Amino acid sequence: MDGSGTRAFGFTGTWRDYAPIAFTNLLLTIVTLGIYRFWATTRTRRYLWSRTRFIDEPLEWSGTGLELFIGFVLVLVLFLIPFVFLQFGVQALIFQGYAGLAIGFGALAIFLLFYLSGVALFRMLRYRLSRTWWHGIRGGSDDKGWRYGWSYLWRNIVAMIPLYLLVPWAMTSLWNDRWNAMSFGPHPFRAAALAGDIYKRFLLFYLVPFLLVIGVIVVGVSAMPMMMDPTADPGRPPAGLWALLAVVVVAVYGVLPLIALIFYAKYMRVAIGALSLSTLDFSFDARSRDWLLLILGDIALVVCTLGIGWVFLSYRHWKFFVTHLDASGEISLSALTQSTTAAPGQGEGLADAFDIGAI
Amino acid sequence: MTSIGPDESIWHYDGASATRHYPRIAWTADGFTLHWAGGESGPHHWGDLVPVGGMGAQSLYGLRGAPGWRLGFAGPPPEDFAIHLPLPARYGRWIDRIGLWPAIALFGVLAAATVFVVLRAPQWIAPYIPYSWEERLGDAMIGDFGGRLCETPASRAAIARLQAQLGDDVRIRRIDVANIDMVNAVALPGGRILLFNGLLKEARSPDEVAGVLAHEIGHVRHRDTLTALVRQLGLSVVLGGFNGQVGSAVNGLLALSYSRDAERAADAYSIGRLRASDISPLPTAAFFDRIGKLSGGERMERATSWMASHPVSAERKAAFTRSAVKDHAYRPALSAAQWRALVDACKNDPDAKKGFGLF
Repeated sequence: MDGSGTRAFGFTGTWRDYAPIAFTNLLLTIVTLGIYRFWATTRTRRYLWSRTRFIDEPLEWSGTGLELFIGFVLVLVLFLIPFVFLQFGVQALIFQGYAGLAIGFGALAIFLLFYLSGVALFRMLRYRLSRTWWHGIRGGSDDKGWRYGWSYLWRNIVAMIPLYLLVPWAMTSLWNDRWNAMSFGPHPFRAAALAGDIYKRFLLFYLVPFLLVIGVIVVGVSAMPMMMDPTADPGRPPAGLWALLAVVVVAVYGVLPLIALIFYAKYMRVAIGALSLSTLDFSFDARSRDWLLLILGDIALVVCTLGIGWVFLSYRHWKFFVTHLDASGEISLSALTQSTTAAPGQGEGLADAFDIGAI
Repeated sequence: MTSIGPDESIWHYDGASATRHYPRIAWTADGFTLHWAGGESGPHHWGDLVPVGGMGAQSLYGLRGAPGWRLGFAGPPPEDFAIHLPLPARYGRWIDRIGLWPAIALFGVLAAATVFVVLRAPQWIAPYIPYSWEERLGDAMIGDFGGRLCETPASRAAIARLQAQLGDDVRIRRIDVANIDMVNAVALPGGRILLFNGLLKEARSPDEVAGVLAHEIGHVRHRDTLTALVRQLGLSVVLGGFNGQVGSAVNGLLALSYSRDAERAADAYSIGRLRASDISPLPTAAFFDRIGKLSGGERMERATSWMASHPVSAERKAAFTRSAVKDHAYRPALSAAQWRALVDACKNDPDAKKGFGLF
């Protein structure tokens, strides 16, 4: 920190500056049948990174649209096209009566996809760090992420076995795994997030659906006499049924996402709070209320602009992330030497194929 | 040799450490050198400088082959220095060269042409695919349908009789009865047709089956199945450029089995063959009427027909009804014994397996 009381991270962009980028990106993406989106992503990141200050200097994004495009083509050729053929093969097996074999191949494909989505998550982070510069220094990783894919596969499966109760453990240990393989300059990142810190919120998220089901049953049973009313018009459902339906809808579309958000807010605070780089300790202070306002703002923006506001979502999310991110401690500039990690030659094709988001 | 600096408005990172230098820049027509207390960089060629964006009024340059090397100016670079510098990229190299609006127009025309070709090309390509490939593809996909084909000597004779009347000049390899309870018939790649047992049970006369079978023979004659396969393959490649969700939705809408033109042509073929073989089209018309009622009535069909691949039942029914000659004594498509043998093919074939193993 520079010690002047300001935060380590700051965002200086404005939506008016970003609008010309967003709209030309949208236009070019449409007329190129989507191919421009790799260059669009790059322009957006160049803008967002350059408006993100860390201590005394803005960050710099050095990725290119071409390398994202190459990453996409590689994934298309290596994974997606073989997958289409596999799908044809499984269909043919079902037609020809080898249902067991078809299920076997299908299951294998699902495991493979799961493994690859773990690898994708890792490689996305590695790619982004390798293209992020500050003071002429970049980040990266020497690990290519193939081993992390297995870790991702087995930890998520183990987490499911006791009725998903080990999900917080899987989330935090995978976060630690991923970040402990990353570095910036000569310094490795250190992540030591503890599952215990998010368990209370997780149990809330875990138990509320049960409580909701019990609640609906109780309301339903108590409304029974009303529904059985012999004088009621059988052609028109009684008001009680509508009330019950309203409760279910509010629960499913309102309460559950809200609790998921409350859990996720805590998870992000714990995970980033457990992250350090050399003598720098990171922290993230977005509370559930901030996340809720972000999401409601997103919805309002998209709805009120009839969908066009969608182009500003990545801007809003990055700004949210940066303004809530902070770091404390000293960093020695002369000791921050260039990264010796191998920079990947192509972009986040796998993550793109699986539609994996940034945070 | 000209020189500027050192001052706070010109800074440099050497890419080896994060330390910021304030260099003096000395240049000639060929290149430039940076000097600062304790080091220097250069001489470098002007051509190796790469603009890397920067923030707002700032200008930032990198050096080809030297990762992390940066030269920054707070504001535009001094004029007699700037004349040597390349312009920063904006939308991408090709687009910058021809300008944003001409590029959008050009891409728009190319996109429209691509979509047109992809939609049309299958009809142009399909006739040139050798029959032997198509037959191998069909056999690989279907084989013996997992032992679910029903056949008795009498049913085979009945099918041969229908084929002789409805498609003696069409390249049909096999017509089979499949032991599946769906009111349907399908044309498969490689000149194969499946009549589902559900269709035979639902049909009230051999003439109804003849109308439906002739329709499928029409698809075989025009190689519509192959055209549909080629189209689906082409679409999934082109729309791969978009995000997964948009792509698959559009793909699903466009690829829906056969085009409506192909369906109309198959109906026209069916009507023509029925007339040539002296089989009444009225039972087929009545059959469409019953099927139309099954799928939610005419209004429902009309409402969804803009995206449905089959012409609405009412339209099809009218076409078949119109083709009937008044007071003409038609011949039945099969004798009563042949018709029985066909309907009971699955009952009388002890080897036929039923339904799909999975369901």
